[in-house]
Amino acid sequence: MSCWRGFKEGNWNREIDVRDFILRNYTPYEGDASFLRGTTKRTDSVKARVDELLIEENKKGGVLDIDTERVSSILTYQPGYIKKGEDIILGLQTDEPLKRAVNPFAGYRNAVQACRAYGYEIGENIKNEFRYRTTHNTGVFRAYTDTMKKARHAGVLTGLPDAYARGRIIGDYRRIALYGMNYLIREREADKRRIGEREMSNETIQLLEDCERQLEFMRQLVTMAAEYGCDISRPADNAYEAVQWLYFGYLGAVKEQNGAANSIGRISSFLDIYIERDLADESLDEIGAQELIDDLVLKMRLVRHLRTPEYNDLFAGDPVWVTCSLAGMAEDGRTMVTKTCYRFLQTLYNLGPSAEPNITVLWSTRLPEPFKAFCAKVSIDTDSIQYENDDVMRKDFGDDYAIACCVSAMKVGKQMQFFGARCNLAKVLLMALNGGRDELYGEQIAPEGKSFEAGKPLVYEEVLEAFKVYAAWMARLYVNTMNVIHFMHDRYAYERLMMSLHDVEPERLMAFGISGFSVLADSLSAIKYAKVTPIKDENGLIVDFVTEGEFPKYGNDDDRVDEIAQWIAEYFYEELCKTPAYRGAKHTLSILTITSNVVYGKKTGATPDGRKKGEPFAPGANPMHGRDAEGALASLNSVAKVCYDCCQDGISNTFSITPAALGRDDADRVKKLVSVLDGYFAQNAHHLNVNVLNRQKLIDAMNDPTLYPSLTIRVSGYAVNFNKLTKDKQLEVIARTFHEKV
Amino acid sequence: MKGYVHSFESLAAVDGDGLRYGVFLAGCPLRCVYCHNPDTWTVGAGQSFEASELVKKIARYRSYFGERGGVTFSGGEPLLQAEWLCEVAELLRNEGIGYVLDTSGGVPLTEAVRTLLAGAQGILLDLKFPDEESYRRYTGRGISETLAMLDYLESIGKETRIRIVVVPGINDSEDALERYLVHLRGKNCVSEVELLGFHTMGFHKYEALGIENRLSGTAALDPAKKDRLQAFVNAQLNK
Repeated sequence: MSCWRGFKEGNWNREIDVRDFILRNYTPYEGDASFLRGTTKRTDSVKARVDELLIEENKKGGVLDIDTERVSSILTYQPGYIKKGEDIILGLQTDEPLKRAVNPFAGYRNAVQACRAYGYEIGENIKNEFRYRTTHNTGVFRAYTDTMKKARHAGVLTGLPDAYARGRIIGDYRRIALYGMNYLIREREADKRRIGEREMSNETIQLLEDCERQLEFMRQLVTMAAEYGCDISRPADNAYEAVQWLYFGYLGAVKEQNGAANSIGRISSFLDIYIERDLADESLDEIGAQELIDDLVLKMRLVRHLRTPEYNDLFAGDPVWVTCSLAGMAEDGRTMVTKTCYRFLQTLYNLGPSAEPNITVLWSTRLPEPFKAFCAKVSIDTDSIQYENDDVMRKDFGDDYAIACCVSAMKVGKQMQFFGARCNLAKVLLMALNGGRDELYGEQIAPEGKSFEAGKPLVYEEVLEAFKVYAAWMARLYVNTMNVIHFMHDRYAYERLMMSLHDVEPERLMAFGISGFSVLADSLSAIKYAKVTPIKDENGLIVDFVTEGEFPKYGNDDDRVDEIAQWIAEYFYEELCKTPAYRGAKHTLSILTITSNVVYGKKTGATPDGRKKGEPFAPGANPMHGRDAEGALASLNSVAKVCYDCCQDGISNTFSITPAALGRDDADRVKKLVSVLDGYFAQNAHHLNVNVLNRQKLIDAMNDPTLYPSLTIRVSGYAVNFNKLTKDKQLEVIARTFHEKV
Repeated sequence: MKGYVHSFESLAAVDGDGLRYGVFLAGCPLRCVYCHNPDTWTVGAGQSFEASELVKKIARYRSYFGERGGVTFSGGEPLLQAEWLCEVAELLRNEGIGYVLDTSGGVPLTEAVRTLLAGAQGILLDLKFPDEESYRRYTGRGISETLAMLDYLESIGKETRIRIVVVPGINDSEDALERYLVHLRGKNCVSEVELLGFHTMGFHKYEALGIENRLSGTAALDPAKKDRLQAFVNAQLNK
């Protein structure tokens, strides 16, 4: 076939196997960044229009416009453009840039409230349509038990995707470019016929319906592309088409779905193959290649979903998590760095720093040194990228996985994830001390047990036993709650297009999460090594503690407490695995809080580590701010000990350091940041967000947002524009540990 | 034998090449007016460590060191505990971890001190003041030991970075710095002369410790002025 001219053949010619295509055809690049080019006049012109729109959006309180008359789907809107005639990569979510769509499939009430928050009312059409339609949210609450509702209300199970769409599923958008939709449709039809031969169990029937729902949306995607004048029924014929075809797949997915994270996968080295072919026959030059990637990234920066203020509390800064995974190593030992990995990083200079796409470098200590240095330079200059340990993830996920959201790895097109928010384990400890009662409201949530006495120092062994009992009880409730949620999500808000770009029976992961990790570790350490005495209120609830004496604190590379932290993750994971997950999913666990560490802290009483009632938690697996006495690397070493085997959904760590503490000048800082990353990841640590900035800059930006309009910082597995954070989140970010020069 | 450590800084990136693990030893023979760590002065205070315990702690950071990094012994005055530090250095050599010494030079050149200097990856030598009179006035001791150490470093060809703290009103002029440079011109071991601007971030420690702060009325050095003086020093030394 002429679209595949010049490509080396392999298994990818016999069945859908994008990985095989990449490994046979990509060109590893070990050189430096000197080949990169700046913007074209056209890019500047389109970028200028985008900047105007972003300013307008900001002026209008964060939402530029909402189409309240139609329900978002693939074919709902006429084609939209940033600048018609100048856009290279075509396609917007609605007919106008930054105009948001209404997507009530996950929860109708949420959609109504989101519109109202920005001064809009949902139109009559949508109202009528959803009068007789069951949403995901309705389905979940039909099935929820009283206990599930209580745990949710108390905030011990929290951030659950029961009123918003789950997200975290990555379609293999590359398949569209490589194979064309006709082939993919024929393959799925064949899958359906094959499955139709089985006995008609619940599972088989569900799978058959899934196939048909997918096929409907695959056909719609072809129509959507045709409306932009493109024929994606056939494979892409050149680099431009490869980018465009792939983007159409992503675009269809975000028109259909408004899940919490809509990641784009691992596309750079795939696209590089097409770019290299065009460079070789001189139908493209480096300026043109960079322009293609710049234009794609500009589109990614415009993706928007309509959210409620409560949602923004959990996931601040209007993130979409267009997570774009770069680099890594192939299983055969070659680097997967290509020139197009550099081109994606270069967009942060050409288009300026930005939170989206969420550029994620899959780090290996064996990556080419010039690439490491360029990444470090980009981090120092823009604070916009994050790092995840390819040497650790490759063992479990091979060399064609991508990151969804912040830290969730999955094999592209082969695995999907049921996102499960998180369980507040600091609160579970307080519940254990209060005999199953919530420490703020006094409500009996878990089965009644012994309440620990006031005025009498806590005995570590007794507390640990009680904690184990309640954590085990909570783990079972958590899995069962997730099973209800995802059963209903599949039924009422199924990701038809994204799942059509997976194998027909992908492996499923159910991703659980922990919040309050460092608070719990330090609290148990305080009970073990210091003297902690509970204080009760008039209702017999433990509401505070007197903590006397020193105790080891997580974040100082001190095994006495770090071993407690490791144990927490291992114990909770084992307990989760005891309850089977929906659709045979494999249990995974993350230590990641997004920005919800602030909200979770608000909903949690005083803890034995000395944290006061309502104070924020540290984000993710970070040590609590101000408790690390031995500096940055000691803090990294503590986090590095948490074992990835029981936290395969990721262990998030955010690291902020001042330029002066990192090195003497720019060249020195680049070298030292590379050493930090190599040293951290060599210990099998999983993830690091890097910010190189001064606290004062953030304070200045908080006081006058116009000073640094594009100030981007990494928060917890993603980046945000600092000005989009609410004041209490800005204050919490400022309060975090900045490793400074002593 | 046990040594006394005041504190640790696991990322002491600017105290030497590569990533450095900073060990601040307790005890100092000098009482520099501009000292920002008066809490490290007392000899025999702080946490005590066997050499092997300390090396075990340092080795936890091996993965960050690469070829140029390692540990930096600072203080206080690390060479006050030279005997113990020799034990540590021996164990570090077995581990393949290098060290830098951050010293004022204000100790006698004993055999242990010579061994330590010779075995270091490099030396950070603080030249506190340029002549006997000012050295004694502002540090409480004489300059001869520091100059003797510099001569020794030159004789063994050990790479040495000289550091000079520039304090407004005391030595923040080209004339004042010229008096330091007379000791440094023609010394092949001196790879660099780095000026450090006086800052006030250690003031709270004086208050907390109830020690008189003789520079309490002095402001931090203007960074632009420091840059100008640094350019002057570099030009004078052709660096």
